[in-house]
Amino acid sequence: MENDEKQICVLLVEDDPGDQKLIKTALMSQECGINPMVVSSGETAMDYLKMSTEDAVRYPGPSLILLDLNMPGMGGKEFLRKVKADEDLCSIPVVVVTTSDSESDIRECYTLHAAGYIQKAAVPEEFRDVLKRLTHYWFSVSSMLKR
Amino acid sequence: MDIYKTVVIMLIEDDLGDQKLIRMSLREQRIANTPVVANSAEEAIDYLAKNKKSEIALMPDLILLDLNMPGMGGKEFLRRIKSDPDLEAIPVVILTTSDSDKDILESFKLQAAGYIKKPVSLNDFQEVMRTLTDYWFIICRHITHESDRQVSECSNR
Repeated sequence: MENDEKQICVLLVEDDPGDQKLIKTALMSQECGINPMVVSSGETAMDYLKMSTEDAVRYPGPSLILLDLNMPGMGGKEFLRKVKADEDLCSIPVVVVTTSDSESDIRECYTLHAAGYIQKAAVPEEFRDVLKRLTHYWFSVSSMLKR
Repeated sequence: MDIYKTVVIMLIEDDLGDQKLIRMSLREQRIANTPVVANSAEEAIDYLAKNKKSEIALMPDLILLDLNMPGMGGKEFLRRIKSDPDLEAIPVVILTTSDSDKDILESFKLQAAGYIKKPVSLNDFQEVMRTLTDYWFIICRHITHESDRQVSECSNR
């Protein structure tokens, strides 16, 4: 319980179980004490975020969202659009983590105010290194909102 | 032949000492970069307005923005470019002396893509710039500008 108070909550929105495991493990191995919250769909993520605005003790608000683009149901871009249009949620930085290297996806995500666009690495070790640099930027160098 | 574009980083900073520190730090980074320096938010707005439709302009891939400047402050600048369809996709990272929670919240609400408290020493600036350029130009994909495509097309002839 003591450690939880110091832990940073990162919301991972990712439907692929393999990628969930890889990203969650990489996040938990960081020195800065990350508590990943993993959801498999945009809809579940929105529900969680809404609950976090009502009861932050039971549902800690994330300091960062990592977002897959290609998910069934509500896709990543639709989720991003909704979060950025919500007064209570728009301040949470959202970093897209996807297999897509399409220029139009990249442009659209930045236009929707994504705070980064990362193409998933094919090799797990490489992906872990990417996540290490990502967490270093967001949690060691950039100041985060206290939630 | 592959063409590797030099990234363009716009620095909006009124303090000459900080400008110098930041430029020196950026020169040390492994990503080739061209800094475009504006001494005020107004100067930055003018530059962006004149160049946004140009095919050969040096449009920034990233903006580093001070908050506390005379005239138009950083937050007003951020508000303006994030409501301009031609400019809103450019990531803006705040680089400021302020550690106020209010400034942090407001900046993220205005869609800043990072909030960095200015280090004091050159060494610390270099470390910060290394992390920042690693994140934005090595691990993150960014938008290809029309001017990049022109360069690639010319070199393939």
